[in-house]
Amino acid sequence: MSVDRHRVENFLYREARLMDQHAYDEWFALWTDDALYWVPCNEDDIDPERHVSIVFENKRGLEDRIARLKSGAAYAQDPKSRLSRVVSNIEIEEVNRSELIVHSTFNVTALRRRRMDTFAGRAIHTLRPDGEDFKIASKKVLLINNDVVINNLTFLI
Amino acid sequence: MATTRNGINYDSLVKDDRVHGRVYTDPAIFEEEMDKIFSRGWVYVGHASEIPRPGDFRCTDIGRQSVIMVRDDDGQVRLLMNRCTHRANAVCQVERGNARMFRCAYHGWTFRNNGELASVTYQDRYDAAFSKEDHGLREVPRVGVYRGFIFGSMSAVGITLDEHLGKRVKEQLDLFIDLSPEGELDVTAGVHKYGYRANWKFQVENSMDGYHGNFVHQSFFENVRRRSGVNLTDMMTSQSLAQTRDLGNGHVMIDFRSYNKARGGRLGAAMPTSESGKAYRDALIAKHGQARTEELLTARGTHLLVFPNLVLIGVQIRIIRPVQTDETEVFLYPAFLKGAPHELNVARLRGHEAFYGPAGGGATDDLEMFERNQIGLSARVDPWLRLGRGLRQQRQDDDGTIVGQITDEVTQRGIWRQWKKLMSQDSAAISVRRRRNGNGTARRAIL
Repeated sequence: MSVDRHRVENFLYREARLMDQHAYDEWFALWTDDALYWVPCNEDDIDPERHVSIVFENKRGLEDRIARLKSGAAYAQDPKSRLSRVVSNIEIEEVNRSELIVHSTFNVTALRRRRMDTFAGRAIHTLRPDGEDFKIASKKVLLINNDVVINNLTFLI
Repeated sequence: MATTRNGINYDSLVKDDRVHGRVYTDPAIFEEEMDKIFSRGWVYVGHASEIPRPGDFRCTDIGRQSVIMVRDDDGQVRLLMNRCTHRANAVCQVERGNARMFRCAYHGWTFRNNGELASVTYQDRYDAAFSKEDHGLREVPRVGVYRGFIFGSMSAVGITLDEHLGKRVKEQLDLFIDLSPEGELDVTAGVHKYGYRANWKFQVENSMDGYHGNFVHQSFFENVRRRSGVNLTDMMTSQSLAQTRDLGNGHVMIDFRSYNKARGGRLGAAMPTSESGKAYRDALIAKHGQARTEELLTARGTHLLVFPNLVLIGVQIRIIRPVQTDETEVFLYPAFLKGAPHELNVARLRGHEAFYGPAGGGATDDLEMFERNQIGLSARVDPWLRLGRGLRQQRQDDDGTIVGQITDEVTQRGIWRQWKKLMSQDSAAISVRRRRNGNGTARRAIL
């Protein structure tokens, strides 16, 4: 498979926009059925069976997350965070027939109730070709502030 | 007369059935809380299993004072003040680690991990009267440990940890700890840290509030219902057999034992039918016997507050950290059960993550409620918060505790009664006693 860098970039930019816009269903549709969504806690390299994570979810957990956010009773997102994020420094690390591993950095500014927070870090996506598009098989989000107090991370990161 | 150095009459702010909003907003009251509750009283610091080896330490706070919880080379747990005795530089910069020595970077004084001053640079310019023995890292005046739970008190005098906890809290701690087939917790799974912009007591009260769940957490419970068919809301209606209970000294709990018993006990029903679930149950019976195992599993679901800053819910040890009047941090340490099947501990961890932490599906909605509380407090035409729910119907149980229905505010009233008692102490008397006792070696009680 030849990697079209623009297609990878466009995919990550689209994911970023869907997260910024709280487009929950469209974002959820990006994932494979065997998806893993992981935001480690305290440090980047932990054993998720021995150490707590901020998020460690399979497709079912993601579905619950989305269902809750859509329920009208997820008060931590009522009002919603206003979000703007930049995704950059994209590197395609590894290619085989069925998967790409894509590294990127992100910087999210979140405004809620007059408070502006910045969330920054790296993301590691495992993408699988899906026709002309991709699906996310796994996403690991390495927040630089995963070891300090966080007030509200209930939007999509 | 309960008027203190601030001229505040706490009797006028805390009534049997209501509290005045000022208790959440007045910086003078916050300062007094730091003195009378978080300095004078017993405060939970951490768990012994976090520092299993000599030299292991975790840097933390008691109230707003920086403290190093460390196991020294002799294996003894110590609480050292994180402050060089020379010019007050913090000697520990990282949250956790292992160290034989704490070296002050400023002028090079070096302390052993038991606090002793090991060396002073260029000591020749101090006169002969200078004694290294007098300049060790100061210790938290009193340290107490109950089955691995480490508490500190910044006051050399006052009731003992044993008196503070009392028989009833120790019984509840035992029920939490003995869910381990080895009777020991393993608190090495890291920590969720979240914060909110509201008063610390909102988290304390809400942790023990059986009334809010069906409203604040309806989105979470709906997911549970959709997945499993289990309707968790039954536990928290005004018809539920679950209870709120006041254990005394500000310690309170939400008690699901009556609810669980009415559902036929938890021994069979509550355990997963998986191999690991059966193995766990068998290990519990082997350790504790059939009757105690039944008691342990029937007590599952308990929410316990050990006044003022320790909460046990589910798998977690929760520490509530006041920062200022309208800012609070909450640290959640998931506890593994030693001797339980690995899969069961992992399942407990995953269950914790689904609800808790800064991206969780439950506790984040609680934090939002606290911030809305703090906003609401600015509206002061009627300054009172009402805590009278179930006041007339509550009763004294056979064991002397005060008990009410789960949606009753028995727990809040128990917290506030202790708060008022502590805050109404005479400030001057405390500081006189503290001076007289000095800041010598810590007194230690292992219960």
